[in-house]
Amino acid sequence: MVLAPYGFVLPATITMLLLVVYPIVYGIYISFFNTNLVNKWKFVGLNYYVKAVQDVAFQHSLWMTVVFTTFVVLGHFVLGFVFANILNKPIRFKTFFRGVLIIPWLFPDVVVAYLFKWILNEQGGILNALLIHWGWISTPIGWLSSSATAFGCVIAASIWKGFPLVMIQILAGIQTINTDMYEAASIDGANGWQQFHYITLPALKPILTTVLILDTVWVFKQFTMIWLMTAGGPGNATMVSAVEIYKNAFNYFKYGYASAESVFILVICYLIGVVFRRLLRDD
Amino acid sequence: MTKTQKNRLTATGHYTVLVLGCLCVLLPVAWMAITSLKTMQDITLSKGVELFPSGPSIANYITIWSDYPLFSYIKNSLLSVGGSTIFAVICASLCGYGLSRYEFTGKKFLLSFLLVTQMFPAVMKIIPYYKILVNIHLNDSAVGLMIVYASFSIPFCTWMMYGYFKTISTSLDEAARIDGCTPLMTFLKVVLPLTIPGLVATTIYAFLQNWNEYMFASVLISSDSKKTLTFAISTMADAYRIQWNYLMCASIIASVPTMLIFVFLQKQLIAGMTAGAVKE
Repeated sequence: MVLAPYGFVLPATITMLLLVVYPIVYGIYISFFNTNLVNKWKFVGLNYYVKAVQDVAFQHSLWMTVVFTTFVVLGHFVLGFVFANILNKPIRFKTFFRGVLIIPWLFPDVVVAYLFKWILNEQGGILNALLIHWGWISTPIGWLSSSATAFGCVIAASIWKGFPLVMIQILAGIQTINTDMYEAASIDGANGWQQFHYITLPALKPILTTVLILDTVWVFKQFTMIWLMTAGGPGNATMVSAVEIYKNAFNYFKYGYASAESVFILVICYLIGVVFRRLLRDD
Repeated sequence: MTKTQKNRLTATGHYTVLVLGCLCVLLPVAWMAITSLKTMQDITLSKGVELFPSGPSIANYITIWSDYPLFSYIKNSLLSVGGSTIFAVICASLCGYGLSRYEFTGKKFLLSFLLVTQMFPAVMKIIPYYKILVNIHLNDSAVGLMIVYASFSIPFCTWMMYGYFKTISTSLDEAARIDGCTPLMTFLKVVLPLTIPGLVATTIYAFLQNWNEYMFASVLISSDSKKTLTFAISTMADAYRIQWNYLMCASIIASVPTMLIFVFLQKQLIAGMTAGAVKE
């Protein structure tokens, strides 16, 4: 009987040890070697870590990741909040509106990436065609091929793809708030903004923190959309860390160096989690 | 301004925001659908704004099946995603039940371990996975991909199932135990049937997550006959000239399963999406 709980958790635990712990440890091992993963295994110690700290390209990619994550998570939360609040009001066609607003989340990343690449395309892209038609611009703009606009476009596409999940989770949270509180507040003369500030926000705080942690970590790891839309370019205008590491590993075959870089990302992701969880615990 | 006027104004504002939001969602999707009905001539020869195809036709949807081995892509996706989902949900249900019903050494550690693995960046795992799967000759195979996808799904699925099991009273377990059920029988015959909605949501979630996966498939799969659908779409665009109509057509085909799942299982899916957040 004492062994029963271990029987239940054993299959998942063994699988996770084999499929997560072992690969991570192996990844750290690789980061100490100059290797092609086949027959060249030259021990370099901590050299790659030192190199990564000094590498301007890696620093740039980390900064881009921070900017990307900040804007995308902010976008998810602003849109998620606005739509969740309205969907919680007694409005008609609620199911329809909610259903439509969830659609972006249902598309695979690959599909969303190519859809926006096509819309923004320099040749035949509908956005350029419309802007020229309305006389706002005279020649097509290479939205994804000029460094001034590429990053903004990738951020916009990522916001479009990801806000529904945040919206649904905030909506679920709002629906657990007792409506009597709003009635009491409005009798006492609180306006909409005050109700939001003093009732909605405090009640939602635990949920918001959880969603914030998960969303930040997910966006921080985002690879597919950026890789397929711009591959980090033009130049390094959209080079976030995930793309930088992928390129080092699978385009330049610098497996050891890429592994060292990803250990840094692992530590950063872990720290994000620790910081956010401390914020959560304080309340 | 009277109160009714003010209310009407707020309501108008709400509908305006909702309609604008829906337009931002639907216009790109409509453009995808329209492009998929166009011929390549429509696309390359168009001057200025030509929103609609000269003769809308579903020809693309027919020829794409003969031009590309779509059936084999779909089969590969279903095999690796389906297999990993079933495996992950079995492991996650057992583990979630064990965590929700028993106190044991290492329980706290296991719970936070499952949460922390969510934070491991995929790009960190991809190099070791690549090397390991090459070593055991499972690269470029649906089975290899199945293993990788299972490792993605187990932590989150376990958390979801753990949340569902916690909502079910333990008095049922005790009653079953007094009637002489073994722990496994109690789980299978008494508790699991009560969590069917949660099980459905967890299964859908795992399926969608892996159906949409791209990066690992692109690194681990090399031969055309082994490609999954999402990876195959990206290689259609790698060609010398991008055939946008085919690409959009394939994109729609790849999105059909997720859309269908959503239409039929909307309630469970939304319950599943919110399970993690509300349970905290």
